[in-house]
This record gives sequence, C-alpha cells and structure tokens, in this order.
Amino acid sequence: MNRNVTWKVVLILAILVVFIVAIVPTASNPEPIKRGLDLKGGTHLVMRVNVGDAVRLETDQAAETLKAQAAKLNLPTLTTHRIDDATFVATGPQAASNGDYEKLGKDTLGQFDMSRTQDGALQFKMKSLYQTQVERDTITHAVETIRNRVDALGVTEPIIAPESGNRIVIQLPGVDDPARVKDIIKTTAVLQFRIVEGEGNDAAAALASVPANMKNDVDVLPETRENELGQAVGTSYVAVRKTVPVTGTDLKTARPQKGQLGQPVVGFSFTTEGGKKFAELTGNNKGRQLAIVLDNKVVSAPRIEERIENEGIIRGQFTQQQVSDLALILRSGSLPASLTTLEERTVGPSLGRDSIRQGVTASMIGFIALIVAVLLYYRGAGVNAVLALLLNLVILLGMMAYFKATLTLPGIAGIILTLGMAIDSNVLVFERIREELREGKTVRASIEQGFARAFGTIIDTHMTTIISALFLFQFGTGPIKGFAVTLLIGLFASVFTAFFVSRVIFDVMYKPEDRPATISI
Amino acid sequence: MQIFVNTKYDFVKWRFAAVAFSLFWMLIGAAFYFKNGMNWGIDFAGGANIVLKFKDKVPMDRLRADLADASIQQYGKPEENSVLIRLPQLKREGDYAGATVAKLNKDLNPESADANKIDLNFHGRDRISDLLAAADPDAKGTNDDAKKHYLGIAQNIINKRSELGLFTSMSQVSSAPGVTAADAKVLGEKTFLGQFNVLNQETVGPQVGKELQQKAVLAIIFSTLAMGLYLWIRFDLMFGVAAIVCIVHDVLVSMAFLFMIRGEFSLNIVAALLLIVGYSINDTVVTYDRVRENRRKLKVGMTLEEQLNLAMNQTLSRTILTSGSVVIVLIALILFGGKVIHEFAWILLIGVLAGTYSTVTIVPAVAIAWNAMTGRTHDVKGPAARPRIEESEEPRKRKAV
Repeated sequence: MNRNVTWKVVLILAILVVFIVAIVPTASNPEPIKRGLDLKGGTHLVMRVNVGDAVRLETDQAAETLKAQAAKLNLPTLTTHRIDDATFVATGPQAASNGDYEKLGKDTLGQFDMSRTQDGALQFKMKSLYQTQVERDTITHAVETIRNRVDALGVTEPIIAPESGNRIVIQLPGVDDPARVKDIIKTTAVLQFRIVEGEGNDAAAALASVPANMKNDVDVLPETRENELGQAVGTSYVAVRKTVPVTGTDLKTARPQKGQLGQPVVGFSFTTEGGKKFAELTGNNKGRQLAIVLDNKVVSAPRIEERIENEGIIRGQFTQQQVSDLALILRSGSLPASLTTLEERTVGPSLGRDSIRQGVTASMIGFIALIVAVLLYYRGAGVNAVLALLLNLVILLGMMAYFKATLTLPGIAGIILTLGMAIDSNVLVFERIREELREGKTVRASIEQGFARAFGTIIDTHMTTIISALFLFQFGTGPIKGFAVTLLIGLFASVFTAFFVSRVIFDVMYKPEDRPATISI
Repeated sequence: MQIFVNTKYDFVKWRFAAVAFSLFWMLIGAAFYFKNGMNWGIDFAGGANIVLKFKDKVPMDRLRADLADASIQQYGKPEENSVLIRLPQLKREGDYAGATVAKLNKDLNPESADANKIDLNFHGRDRISDLLAAADPDAKGTNDDAKKHYLGIAQNIINKRSELGLFTSMSQVSSAPGVTAADAKVLGEKTFLGQFNVLNQETVGPQVGKELQQKAVLAIIFSTLAMGLYLWIRFDLMFGVAAIVCIVHDVLVSMAFLFMIRGEFSLNIVAALLLIVGYSINDTVVTYDRVRENRRKLKVGMTLEEQLNLAMNQTLSRTILTSGSVVIVLIALILFGGKVIHEFAWILLIGVLAGTYSTVTIVPAVAIAWNAMTGRTHDVKGPAARPRIEESEEPRKRKAV
C-alpha cells in the first residue's frame, strides 16, 4: 500500500479508538454522555431576582446611617422617607441650618447624589453606577446562596447560572420532589433578632401599646399565636424595633432538634462575633421579649431570662420536614432579594424513561432502514458509505462525551437526522463518480474527479445547514440547544467522513497501481 | 441500481402550474388559520401544562369542576390513565403548575389533610428517607450510615415508582429492593398512595412566553436572510433572491400543513422550521452549482431556461436521493418516535419534501422572472442562434466534465 494511504488509515483508526474510548462507560464514568433533564427527569427553573429588594434595603440603610450620624453630631432629628427603591428624602426641622445636613450628607453618603426638593428638603438618589453594582452583587450573592442550598440537598450536577435580565437559570437533574426544592430555593430566609416593644390582636392595637416616643421606630409584624400545646390558634401582631442588632449572618450553624414538648425546633449557634453581639443584646435587655423574625414574620418572641452567648433555638409551627429544611436554609445563608418564578419545566423520571425508549427505538429503525437503502442502491460503494456513516456516529457520540454535551430527546432525533444528512455528502460524491464513469472515464479518474468536483457543493450545502444550526443554538433553550449541538457536531464530522474517510476507503479498495477496471457503485 | 439517469424533463415548463399549486396549498393553510387561529404551545402562549398519571380511571368530572379554566384531555392511550391539563396564561408571574398540582393533590387525596403523612405517589426520595430515619424501623441509630441506609431504601422505592409509572398498592412498595418488613410497616402507617403521580409539569410566565415568540420569529427571519446573503456571496444576487423565496415557500408550506393538522406551535416546531431553512435549500445549491459549472464550459449560447433545465436533469437523482435519505429517517421517527417528536418529525418531513419540490419548480420560476426583469443578463450568448439542450451535451463530453 502507498505510504500516504497507510498513514491515513492509521490516522482514521486512531480517531476511531480515541472516540470509542470516550463513549465506552467505565466504572469511574458510568454515563459518558450525560442525559438531559427531559430524559433523566428533573427540574429546569428560570427565576427573576427582584434586585429592587436589595437596592431598597441599601437605601433604607443609608437613611438610617444619615439619621444616626445626625444624632452623633447633636443635630436636630431628621425624618426620612423613601420615595422609590433608590431615592429617599430627608427633612430636618424648619429652624435647623440646612448647611449642616448638606455637609453631613456629602460626608457620609458618598454613593448618593444629593439635591434639594422644592420645599427645601434634601433628596438622596443612589448613583446609577453604584446601583448597578448593588444589583450585580445581589445576583452573584443569590447564585451563591442557591448553590449552597442545592448542594445541601445533595442534587448531583446542578447548573446554576446567571442570565441577562436579572435572571438565574437553575437545572436540577434527578429531582423528584420539585415542590419542596422550589420552596427551599425561594425562601429568602432573612433571620433577625429584634426587641419587642408592644403586642396586640391587630396591627393598630400592637402599635397603640408602644411607648409614644418609640412609635416611629417600630415595625408591626404578624405572629402565629399558639396555645400551651403548641398548636396554632390564630394570628396576633407584634411591634418590634426597627434596629436589627443580630441577624442570620451571625449564625455559625443550624440543625433540627427536639424541643421541650418533643416538637421539632431548629437549634443554632453563633459565630464568635455574632455571639458577642447577642450577649450584649440579651445582657442589656433582660426581662424583655426578643422576637425571632423570619422573612418578616415573627416565629416566636420568648422572654430573655438571662444573658445568652452561644446558642439558642427557634420554635414555631413547624413540621419535622419544615424544621430540617429551615435548618438547611439557615445554614446556607439568606437570599439578598426575593425570587419570582418565570419558567419551570419538570419532567418526572418515568416520562423520561419512556422518551428514551421511544427515541432510541425510532432511531435504530431509522438507522437500519438507512443502511439497507444505501447498500441496495450503491452496493460496494454502499459499504463504503455505511463505514463512513458508522465512523460519523462514533465521532458524534465521542465528541458529545468530550465536550460534555447533554443528550436530549430532540438530540436523539438530531443524531439520526444528522446521519440522514451525512449520507447526502456520500450521495453527491457517488452520483458524480457515476456520472464520470458514464462519460467513459477510468475508475481511478472517476473517483478523483468525483471527489474533487463534489467538494465545493458539499461545503456549500453544509454551510447552509450549519448557519441554521447556529441560529437554532442561539435561539433554543435546554433540549433544543442539545439538538443544535448534535447537529453541528454531526455536520462537521460528516465533512470529514464523507471526504477523507470515504476517499481513503476507495483508495484502499481500488488502488491506483492495480488500475481497476470496474467499480461497484 | 440507478434512477433518473439522462432524464430530459422540461421542468421550466411546469413552473406556473407549480406556483399555482403552492399558492393553493398555502391558501388552504391560511383558511385553516383564519378558522382556528394560531395554536400557540405553552412555550409561547405562557400558562401551565401538567401531565398526571392516575391510579384508576381519570376523574375527569372532578378535575373539570376543580379547574374551571383548564382544558383537560386524555394523554396517550386510555388504559394509561393519563391526562394532560392545560391552563391558560396568568397575568402575574409565579409558580402556576406547582401551585395547581399542590391544590389537586390536596383536593383529590383526603389523606393529605394529615401533614405528617407522606404521599408515596407524589413526594420524593428525601421525604421518604427522612420519615424512615425518624422512625428507624431497622434500628440503625442516628449516625450518617443510618441516613445512608434509609436514603438507599427511599431511592429504591422511587426507582420502583418510575418503573411502574405509579404505585397502585402497598405491596408494590414493599417489593422494592431493600424494603424490610419493619420498613413496610412504618410506611403502611405513615404514608399513603395518592390518586396520581406527576409525569410532567411546566410553567411559562407571560414575560418568557412573549420573549420566546419574538426570538422565534427573529431567528427564522434572520436565518433566512443569512442564507440568502451566503448564497448571494457564493453565487449571485439572482440566486440569493431565489433562495430566499424558496426558503419562505418551504416554511410557509410547512406552516400551512401545521395549520391543517391543527398542530401546536411549539419550540420543537420552531426547531423544525429552522432546520428546514438550512436544509431544504441544499438541493437547490446542488442544482445551481451545476448551472454555474455548466456555464463556465458552455461553447454555445443557452438561455437561462435551458441552463436550468439541463442542470436540474443532471442533478435530479441527487435531489431525490439526498432528500430520500432524510425522509427514510423521518418516517421512522414519525412511526416510532413517540408523542414528543411526532409533530416535529411531520413538519420536517413536509418541509424536506417542499424543499425538493421547490428546487425544481419555485427556484426556476423566480430565477426566470428575475432574468426577464434584468434584461436577460443570465443567458449565455453563443455562436449558434438558439442551440438546443441536446447539442450542449456534445461539448460537455469532449471536455470530459
């Protein structure tokens, strides 16, 4: 055999081996080609992060800072109110000098633009660059928190990725209880410890019980009331101080426990820093009630009996499952903003099983039909085409394994469709060879000419399909993307197999030095 | 075996009849469209889709009473006891399908009133494992190994459920590998078998649906234009235009078919249409490539009509065979591929057939019209006044094309 051809054969065999290795399952890699959610079962979620929440919080904190600083400088008390997520207005007493407040605003709130309203109050608007920064940080933080929670749930190979438009795409393969997982992901879990100033059966009564000088400094939050047995009997309202000395970020860990009545509770312990803050809070407020606030609801408001440093429990109307989920959520930290579900697709495992079976059956039948048709039509050259086709299939699957592409149901259809299209290249070459033969050329000359003349055409036909596959990839989500990827890989592979491989097979079967007189085509 | 060797069909002659036929087909499609409107799938219309599998016969009346706005239909064969619930779009974003499923689970299963009882047909592995670990029937203690032990059992139970579709009796649960008699006893007390299992649930909010509609339309338009541009660069403007008309034709013919079968316009259909845009043009490229090749070698004058006829006859076998290979595959997908890809495969099939048809009818029609409008610049003027196609075979042979 010609040395040149020998090398090509070796190259093809090497490629064959490399890709076969990639797709043979091993003990360490039992699933070389990952199945997509539509085949494996699982949940695909698109959530919007309501970044406005975080911006609002930042604005509120700025207003609090301004007030606190004013108090430190012994300036008359400011009143503030927020007019939108990023803007608040501060009004001082008429008599006070505005110059002092302006100076204070400039010094303390560098991230805000200050202006004067028509009635002489100061308006602070968050700088847009800073707002963008806050929003971006919020998304990053949300992604991290969600990842912590999903990891704690033990989901294997989740995908959690930010997307444009303040969105996060979450893919959870193999999840069999989507309701619970969604709850866990979506709970903001903002845990706060706040001093109670008053209580009542409705919000107005709760506010009425607050000392007069504190009325502006409290929030009224709902609480589920319980009897001695720990059963829910209604809702009451609790007025708690606006200042939040200790929060969920001060927790070191949280775990499910049994309470005194044997009911499920969440036990937690503080970080060193958090422990100090909590000790100070409890030490200074002995005898008062401390509200444990979760997502703006009071879960319980026990009386402070003594200074507490290290740990405590959260008691409330919880089932066993809720307690273990709450502990998990507290361990993973709170979300910086609430989430809204924009899109959900959940496929149960049994549907995925059906889909695979049908998809694979249909593809096998299509593949066999294709092979039979090609062999019938092209005889000897058909064998060549079938070999090229098989190599194409191996390369396609191998590339998917190497690129860690996921196999989706449309992807399975895509594989077999790609093979149907890959044959086109062989058809173009073979028909051209036949044409050359009809014109009386020798076998070798016809092969040479057939490949040479079909080349441009095949490149063009592939390019058009590749262009549309790229549009498909750009457009599609999930399963459709999988389809586009299979198609693209298959198209590139088919240029290689139809030209290079098929040509080498002809070169081996009909060697130039043999001067072949006939060809089976 | 060989087909269509040395044919001499006068394709160009049929172009008007073909254009009329295509328009007729599209008109029927349009009539269906105006009668029934666009059947947007959930991806575009928004809303929720839920597929449930029931233990016994589907309680249709109960579901209809419970979900007033929903369209409810049987899913698959009647003996599969499955149902597809389609809920219209809400104005607000939210977990629509999840909330509906939770409501149905509560309404249809009186047992679910007890919050401490678990529905083995509804809940997942972790809940079952937590329940078992709390009761600890196998006396494993509370260490990590015990957790692992019960997690394994729970996984086996879920696997068993996936295999069966759903549990219809507790004995099926106990037959899952690893479930001991003690486990079965705990499960018998603390769990129940709900009426249904969720095979599939989807929610698409109003925002995502609207965006996808836009993206789909833009993707189809831009890919068509990109195709025209590519072929303009590779060939000439006339062909670029003809290709765009051809693609639009193929897409419209496929869409008309979708309207006729009252199919749902889903993401899969968009995928099929995009594929049609890229693939159905292929045999046109093959044909036009040949026109160009012939033109370079022509020693005699030839009108565009004659050039097209010659090329189409020369490449006819290719046109038929390349589409044929894909058609074989598509038929297999239609017959055996299952519900999810059924309509996708049908639309592709129609698109591929339309692509072959338009190659020999619509493309020449556009090219000839273009040529006439631009002062017949695409004719090849040779020494002979009006040579015939047969005569042109001679120089080809001598030149050993």
